[in-house]
Amino acid sequence: MIACLSIPGFELKAALRRSPSLALRPAALAPEPVGEPLIGPVTGAAEALGVRPGMRLGEALATCPALALVDRDPAAAELAWEEIVRALEDAGFAVEAAALGIAYFETRGVERLYGGIEPALRRALGAVGPAWDARIGAAGRRFAALAAASVAKPAQLLVVRDEEVGTFLAPLPLTLLPLERQRYEELEALGVRKLGQLAGLPGGAVAERLGPDGRRAWSLARGGAAARVRGRRPPAELAETLEFPEAVGNELTLRRALGALVETVVARPERRDRFVRKVALGARLVGGGSWRRSLTLREPCADADRIRVALAPRLAELPSPVLELRVELVELTAPAGRQLELLAAGAEDRSRLSEGLRQVRASTGPGSVCTVVEVAPWSRIPESRALFVPRDD
Amino acid sequence: MVAHSRVARTVRSAGRLNEPRPARVEANFDGTPWQVNHQPVVVVREEWRVLDRWWTEEPVSRRYFEVVLETGENTVVFHDGAGGGWFTQRGA
Repeated sequence: MIACLSIPGFELKAALRRSPSLALRPAALAPEPVGEPLIGPVTGAAEALGVRPGMRLGEALATCPALALVDRDPAAAELAWEEIVRALEDAGFAVEAAALGIAYFETRGVERLYGGIEPALRRALGAVGPAWDARIGAAGRRFAALAAASVAKPAQLLVVRDEEVGTFLAPLPLTLLPLERQRYEELEALGVRKLGQLAGLPGGAVAERLGPDGRRAWSLARGGAAARVRGRRPPAELAETLEFPEAVGNELTLRRALGALVETVVARPERRDRFVRKVALGARLVGGGSWRRSLTLREPCADADRIRVALAPRLAELPSPVLELRVELVELTAPAGRQLELLAAGAEDRSRLSEGLRQVRASTGPGSVCTVVEVAPWSRIPESRALFVPRDD
Repeated sequence: MVAHSRVARTVRSAGRLNEPRPARVEANFDGTPWQVNHQPVVVVREEWRVLDRWWTEEPVSRRYFEVVLETGENTVVFHDGAGGGWFTQRGA
């Protein structure tokens, strides 16, 4: 079976760890610094007063003037989520982290270890701990597991057997489906408000009316397609941190600090000749918040200068002076994970290449060696740009 | 009657470079790939569309993705909107 672990409002819960007293008061996660001013998850006290996640900030404050806004703390959220995923992995589960607060894992491999599916799921809940109000749904398909986790209560396990999937999904709201707001409104205008109503419609008619997204939603409403859970590879644990004696906002100083951190972390022996695929730059801010940006390199590399050049522009996005700067090598490839050129620049040996080609031609016959001729290099269709033509001279 | 000249004629055919190759791709709800030829996708680096030859009998409608696989390999795949199916392609 596929299990889905869900922690609703995870980012708010992670941010509230610094000020736990707010958890019992009306509070909401502050809007993103850029974009529409929409609040994030809210506490139970705020919800009881009519504040809903995703409300406009002005509307939320008008609804509840005493609403406290909790600053976002993405670095703390990612670290807390990483701790949870590792705790599950330590308990023997191969975890696929879908988003902050949502993780999937297969139970088949550990059911015998723990004596059945329910003991295994209880072990998973125990690994996460009671502080997060986690809940787990399990079913034969991912979407049904997610739906079960969405309706389960804190610390509850909800297992949906294959024969019960249709009746379980039928009364659930459409908001569980990954659809745009406009599509929900379109369906509601047609009188479709529950998954069961959507599942009862002919698939062809739904696809015609709502397009491919609607067709996928219809398929999900009927349980969804079978899809495996991909257990992640645990990330690397290579990081270097630099604490400043006082808050630093000068970009030149930060660039120098970044250069030193990158050189140090790339030189760490634990890297063992592996190339860096993903790096992250984090900072502890002067106001007590945190900041983090991760970056996947276009091509894995172990060149400190290239990594520094890739990360440096992110320093301009820092919202305030920093007390601490941190560079993490988040993902490393295998030593052979880099795609190299056949002939490195400056090391071309044309005569040896010609001799090699002559030998290939002699052993494999005419037509085996080709030359590339550009015919339409401007074409947007890659296979129309060039031909390879046999070359026997 | 004229005898055959016995002159050997070699027929050399040119091939297209970077022809698409069928790929086994599993996609998410939004159409982005999460697995290519049984290798999990770690990150989707870029996405773009190519719409061309719409004035012909064989229009081209492709949704391309440049992805990094778990092995560290960068590869480009596209979904063929006209004929259906997924393909890998170099040189895109």
